[in-house]
Order: sequence, then C-alpha cells, then structure tokens
Amino acid sequence: MLDVALVLLQTLLLLAVAPLWGGVVAALKARLQMRRGAPVWQRYRDLAKLSGKETVLSEDASPLARGVPYLVLGAALTICTWTPVITAHQGLGFAGDLMMTVALFAAMRVLLALLALEAGTTFGGMAASRHMALSALAEPAMMLSVFTLALVAHSTDLAAISRAIAMSHDAWISPSHLLALTAMTVVVISETGRVPVDNPATHLELTMIHEGLVLDMSGRHLAALEWAASVRQLLLLTLLANLFLPWGIALEPTPVALLFGFVIWLVKLGVFAVGVAVLESVTARMRLFRVPEFLGMAFLLSLLALTSDSLLR
Amino acid sequence: MDLAGLDAALLASAVWGLAAAAILPLLAIAWPKAPAALHDAAPRFLGVLACLAAVGVGARGLAGGSEVSLQWWPGFPGQPFTVGPDALAAPFLLLFGLVGAASIAAHRADHDSPGAHLRLSLHLGFACLLCIVFATQHALMFLFAWEGMTLVSAALVAADPRGAKARSAAFTYLALSHVGAACIALALLTLSGHAGSYRFDTLSSAYAALAPGDAARLAWLFTIGFAVKLGLVPLHGWLPLAHPEAPAPVSALLSGVMVKAGLYGMLRFVWQLPGAPPQYWGTVLLVLGIASSLVGALYAAVESDAKRLLAWSTVKHAGVLAMGTGLAAQLAASEQPIVAGIALAATLYHVVGHGLAKSLAFLAVGEAVHSARSRSLEHLGGLARRMPRTGLAALIATIALCALPPLSCFPGEWLLFQALILGYSAGAGQLRLLAPFAAAGLALASALAVAAMVKLYGIGFLGRARSETAATATEAPRSVTTVLLIAAALPLAWGLAAPWSVAALRAPIAAVLPEFDAGALQGAGGLTLQPALLQASSISPFAAAALVGLFAGLAILWLRSGTGPHGVRRSPSWSCGAPLGARMQYSALGFTKPLRLIFQPVLRGERVMEVLEEGSPYFARPARVTASMPAMLERVVVAPLVRAVLWGSEWGRGLQTGSLHQYLGYLLATLVALLLWGR
Repeated sequence: MLDVALVLLQTLLLLAVAPLWGGVVAALKARLQMRRGAPVWQRYRDLAKLSGKETVLSEDASPLARGVPYLVLGAALTICTWTPVITAHQGLGFAGDLMMTVALFAAMRVLLALLALEAGTTFGGMAASRHMALSALAEPAMMLSVFTLALVAHSTDLAAISRAIAMSHDAWISPSHLLALTAMTVVVISETGRVPVDNPATHLELTMIHEGLVLDMSGRHLAALEWAASVRQLLLLTLLANLFLPWGIALEPTPVALLFGFVIWLVKLGVFAVGVAVLESVTARMRLFRVPEFLGMAFLLSLLALTSDSLLR
Repeated sequence: MDLAGLDAALLASAVWGLAAAAILPLLAIAWPKAPAALHDAAPRFLGVLACLAAVGVGARGLAGGSEVSLQWWPGFPGQPFTVGPDALAAPFLLLFGLVGAASIAAHRADHDSPGAHLRLSLHLGFACLLCIVFATQHALMFLFAWEGMTLVSAALVAADPRGAKARSAAFTYLALSHVGAACIALALLTLSGHAGSYRFDTLSSAYAALAPGDAARLAWLFTIGFAVKLGLVPLHGWLPLAHPEAPAPVSALLSGVMVKAGLYGMLRFVWQLPGAPPQYWGTVLLVLGIASSLVGALYAAVESDAKRLLAWSTVKHAGVLAMGTGLAAQLAASEQPIVAGIALAATLYHVVGHGLAKSLAFLAVGEAVHSARSRSLEHLGGLARRMPRTGLAALIATIALCALPPLSCFPGEWLLFQALILGYSAGAGQLRLLAPFAAAGLALASALAVAAMVKLYGIGFLGRARSETAATATEAPRSVTTVLLIAAALPLAWGLAAPWSVAALRAPIAAVLPEFDAGALQGAGGLTLQPALLQASSISPFAAAALVGLFAGLAILWLRSGTGPHGVRRSPSWSCGAPLGARMQYSALGFTKPLRLIFQPVLRGERVMEVLEEGSPYFARPARVTASMPAMLERVVVAPLVRAVLWGSEWGRGLQTGSLHQYLGYLLATLVALLLWGR
C-alpha cells in the first residue's frame, strides 16, 4: 500500500512541478537581464490556455499524429513511476530500469521526430533531422555515463543505483564518477534544449531544434507535448540529482526522511535553475556544427569514465 | 503423453510439403494447359501450410519434444540422409516457419512478366533448402542444402528482369558466398573424414579425438565460412548489395532467416560439437561484432534506398548477434557459465526478435515500394495515409528495429547490456577492457539505427508524396495486408511476452551451455525479465506498455474534458504563406546530412563538380555535381585485393607463351617437384 502511495506521490510530484522549473529559470533569467519577466507560474497558464484552444492538424498528417502527443506524455509519466525523486524506494522498479528509461526517452524522441515530419513542411524536417543527429551522440553518452554508475552499484535499477551511491563513502569522489557526472551534465543541457546547444526562448529561428519539432501542433496536442517536454526535462534533472548527487534522498520511507528528501530535491532543482539561468545569460548559443564536438566530448568523457573505472579498480 | 507421432508428422509435412510445393509450379512449364490454381494457388497454399508445420516442429523442439528423424537414402556410400531437428535448431526452425509462411503468403504472382512460375518455384525451393539446413543431422546433406540455398537465392537476386545491377549484385554474392562455402566444405569434409561418418553426433567425438591445434584450425575455417553468411565485417560486402535486389518476400527470408543460418552454423560447428570454442574465438567475434554493428548502423543512416537501408540494418543486427555470441564464448572460457548463459539467451532471443521485425519491414516496405514504383526514399512519401494498413505494419517494424520497448528487439539488447555489466565485473582481464567499448559501440550503433529508421518511415511514409507515382499509390490487396497485419502482431507478441520467450529458449541454450537454465531469467511469476545475479535489475515490457497505455488514456480523458472544442480540425500545412510543394520538405539525403557531416572523417564522401559550359564566373553556369560515398571497407580491403589479383594475373600471363613444348616442360617440372616433396 505504502509502495503504491509513494509511486503515485512521486509521479504526481514530477507532473505538477515540471512546468514550474521552466518558469523559475525564465524568471531568473529575466531578473539577470534587468527585466521584470513573467511570473513563475506562467507555464501553467500557457498549458491551461492551450488545452482550451481548438486542435488543428495538417491535412497531410497520418492517423499516427493524433496519438503521438498522448503517447509521448504517457511514456514520460511511465518513467516517473520508477524514478527515485524523494526516496530511493523500489517503486515500480520491476517494470523498468536504467536501460528501459533510456529506451523510453528514445521512444519519445522517435515519436516526436515522426510527428515533426507529418505535416510535410521544411521546419519540421529540419528540426527532426537535427534532433536525430544530435541525439545520436547524446544518447550513447547518457547511456554510458549511467552505465558507469550501474557498474559501481552492481545493478541497473535506478533506485538501487541511487541508494548505492548515497550509502557509499567514496564512490562519488572517484575519477570515473566525476567524469560521468560531467558527461551527464552536458547531455542534460543538450537534451533539455538549453543554451549553448539550443535556445528555448526562440521561435522561428533557423537554428532551433526542440521548438521546431512541435511547430505544426496546436491546442490539446500542443498542451500534451509541452507538458511532456517539461516532465522530460525535470526527469533528466532529477536523474542527475538523484543518481550522481544522491545525498539527502530518503533511504527509508519515514515521514521525516521523506519530507527532508523533498526539501533537498527542491533545493537541488533550485541550484540547477540558478546555474542554467546564469549560464544562459552569459553564453551564446553555439553554431550548430560545433554542437557535435560538444556532444562528442560528452561521449568521450563517458567512455573515459568507463575505462578509467576498469583501470583503477 | 508421447507425441512422437505428431512430431514425425509435422517434420515430414514441413520438409516434403515444401519440396512438393516447389515442384508444382514447374508443372506449368511442362504442361501449360494445367489449371492455373494448380501451379499458383496450390503450391503457395501448400508452402504456407508446410511452413506452419515447421513452426510446429520448432515449438515442439523448444518444449522438449521427442527426437524424431526422417531418413532418406539416395544411394551414396555412407549413411542415409537424416533430417531430425534437435533443441539447438528449434528456435531457428520456429523463426523460419513464421517468416516463411508470411513470405510465401505475400509472394506476388506477376503473371505478365516472364518466368513468374520459375520464380515461385525458386522461392519455395529456397524455403525448403533453408528448412533442411536447420533441420538436418547429416554433414553431406547440410553441405548440399547450404550450397543449394546460396545458388537458389542468388538466382532469385538476379531474377529482376530489369537490371544489370541485380546481376552484378548476384555475382558479388556468389563469389563471396563460395569463398565461405569452400571453407565450410573443407572443414566439414575433413572432420567427417576423421569421424568416418557424416552424422553430427559422430562429428562431436571426432572433434574430441583431434589434436587441439587441428581442432582450432577447423573451427577458424568454420568461422570464416559462416561469417560470410552472417554478414560480419569485413565479409559483409555482398549483403547490402544482394538482399535489396531480390523481390521483397525473398528479401524477408534472406535478411530475416538466412543470415541467422550463419549464426546457427557457428553455434553448431564451433561451439556445440567441439564442446567449447577455441581460445580467442570469443574475443575475435566480439570485436567483429562491434565493428559490424557500427558500420551497419552508420551506412544505414546515410542510405537513401529504402530496401538497402534495411539490408545495412541487417549488418548492424548481425553485429549484435556476433557480440552476444562472442561475449558468451569469452565468459564460458573464463568459467562464468551463468553470465555466459545470459549473453547466449540475449543472442538466441535476438535471432527470433530481429528475424520477425526485419522480415516484416521488408514485406511492408516491399509493398510500399511496389505501389509507388521506386525504391528511393526521395520518390516515396505520404504513403501512410494512402496505404494505411501497410503503413501500420511498416510503423511497427520501424519501431521494433529501433530496439524500442515493448517490441521484439529491445529485450535482446537489454539482456546483452546486462551480460556486459556482469561480464565486466566477473570476466577475464581482456573483457574488462573490451566491455566498455562493446557497451559504447552498442549504444552508438543503436542511436544511429534509430536515426536510420526514423528516416525510413518519416521520409518514406509520412509527409507529402514526393513523386507522381507515390501520389497515386494505392493500398495493397486485402489478402496481402492481412498477411502484413498478422506478421506485425508477431514482433509485438515476442516483445511483450519477453520473459516467457526467453524461458522458452531453455532447451537450445542448454544444448550449447548445459550449466545454464534460462528459466532463471524469469521473475515475478513470468511478469519480469531479470538476471538473478544483478540485484533488483528487471524489466517488464508488458507492464511498461500497460503503464504507457494507461497514462496516455488518462491524458486523453483529462485534456479532452477541457473547455476547448472537441474533435480535430484538418487544415493545409502552413508554409509561411507560400504555396506548399512536396520539394519543400526535407529530402532523405538532407535528413541525415548532419550525420554525414559529423561522420565525414569515417565515411569520406566524395564530391566532384564539373562546369559544363565556359563563361563568366559571375553568372550561373550549367554544372554537374557527382557525389558518392564508396563503402569504407571496399576501399581499404577489397580494392587492394582486386589490384593484387589483377597484378598476379598480369604476371602469370608471362607463363603462357602458347608453346606446347613449354607447357610439357611445366608438367615435367611439376611432376618432379611433387615427387621430391612427397618423398
């Protein structure tokens, strides 16, 4: 019973907090740029507005297009059921592990890229093409960096990894862990569509990637996709926080530990938000064909993390 | 309950049914007045039934059915030909039966074109020989069937009445296959010579009696021979040329099943019969597997021919199979039978999983290509709306080949990753260095394969029609689409029921690795797939799929209950005010241009631009741009080989003066040399 309650709690938490994080980053950026900016809950208003609008689809779209937005949201929420958020308790870990998580992220990406190609417009094709090229480098880097942790934890279950790193005294200071952490940070920046890989604030810019994928969507479909994107973003950040830096996560489901875990999780997300806001304010977006070098670096770092683990153990 | 009678009946109907079906269409040539049903519908129906019987044989073999065999004595000296599948052959026969039935049912009878009856006969004969390759227990019969399979499939590859390209592909295919077949024949006949018998069970004791060095040499010969069929780098050159040229249902058999015959041969002759593979075999196979999966995935991603893209993807998955086998052999050699068993389970699961998905992909894409009359993705587009049922089948195949859950290629790669993690911790020193690279290679290859598959479906089936013929494409006939949809259910079922599927492979795994029980991989009453050695690591494709469905359903209910208008309005795509043309879409070439640029140092695409007319450089002049991407290994391996052969023949020509006396002199010299050597 407790298990089910915890799974529901963590899933709902991720679903509910997801739009907030983007709003906080936008507000912080506005402050850094001496603007007043939109309130932090602007994203919720956007979602409410979108879900009240008419849903329009291209005449060229196949029946697949009507299902994709919901499937993408469903896949994101499925990952939530086994992600350690405030507690490293097992949850629905039997259904999915690290590789299932990466594969479901990949499934979301495939469905989004197919959706972008449905309308037969240039922007959709451009975004899908770039998205597939960049993720071809980002996905293996992500896989390998978490694989390094799986070797340490001797398990591919997310909660078990989080627990093993949290309980170990020195695993986090080893070179392989730090290299993997660096690689994962780069991947998270790329996969969440942040500067210097992509700019979430632009529309109709020739270099955009993530916004271009949903350019032909509207109404409910767009609401589902936007929400899924924010849940995905929060999931990646939570993985970074709770697998690589898992201190403070509740190891036993007692009320105090859970509350503490929740506060620590929010604090970590807050730190990430400040970091991203500052980074986005002081750096410019990279040229598209510089990005592969950036991601290739992440891939090599993660490979280095794995091999250094084999040399140093 | 003793079901030996049933087993014997199933086996007999599979083998004799296919043989009879292959002969029936030839009646039309001998006796043109025969009713059409007799040489078209009847053999196909018979072929499908025989393939379903082969499914039964495979399923009974997996369930531990009784060992039955058919014997037939053709009059050669030696033992009678024996067909009697054992446990190791069972998963391959199961795959063969399922794919064969779909392939034969989807055979298009093009009565107008010449040679239609012959093609049907060859198609059925090819299926029959494949079945015998997997089911026979007799070395000579295996060789005959192996060679026959190669020849018949080469005839089918060259059967395309249109092109010189197909004939040249068939030639490359034959040349490489015969190098492989020669290695296999040499090794197998040597071994039978030592055994004094052609029966597989006696070959095993002959292996044991050989000196270790001789046994290892035979094993390497077998490996080279079967690696050609499996399409491993650097012997893969024929695969992306030949597989796409055959008619789609034959391509489905080639890529879905025949490639796996290479793996079957390796498992049988290099592992099962000698008891253990030679040292370093696992390492070599693992390295070749990594290389093949990367090469296959990369070239698939940059390929614009729909069927050749699928063939390159077969190279990728053959690499995954070799990785699994190599890892298993490595671990078995370092006394880790449990982890080795996980790797072997991954391999055998993937044999069936990939076979089902790839054959479905070839069948569905073949229908689309037939309807749009072009294989180039640049001339397809918009087919998912015009051919909804074919499109659905192609979508399922695409997602399965991306190795995404819950379809049939994901659990295999998942098990392989688990074996890599475990093998890294438990294996020998070599593996500690290789496992990270194997994991990196597999992850990169999977990501590239995803890009290739998105390109195949996104450019080929979605968007607007890119050519006149694609715009007027019509759905395939109902009978064919029904076959496609039934075939589409197979990878879905194999993937959703992964824990049961893996447990069902218990018998073939035990045939190779007796210490391992694949049933141990099943957890929580069959709901999850979990290697017991890694704590708490498990997946459940079924539960994950159910969760996605549940959440998607809730999202639909919630978002539709909003205040907005229900239903979806259709409107033309917005293209910034300009009229939208099909050529404004991204092309297949453009779609993977970023990948081509990123991997340019490896791919080394070449581009030549020639200006056709002289004139002022300030004005546009007509020009011709030729871009090509010669395959990397062609350049590095094949081209020097060809040069060496040509140089050798040039040099050898000096010996041929046309003088009879000189030739007699050569004879004498040879004789003397032989006498001296033989002393």
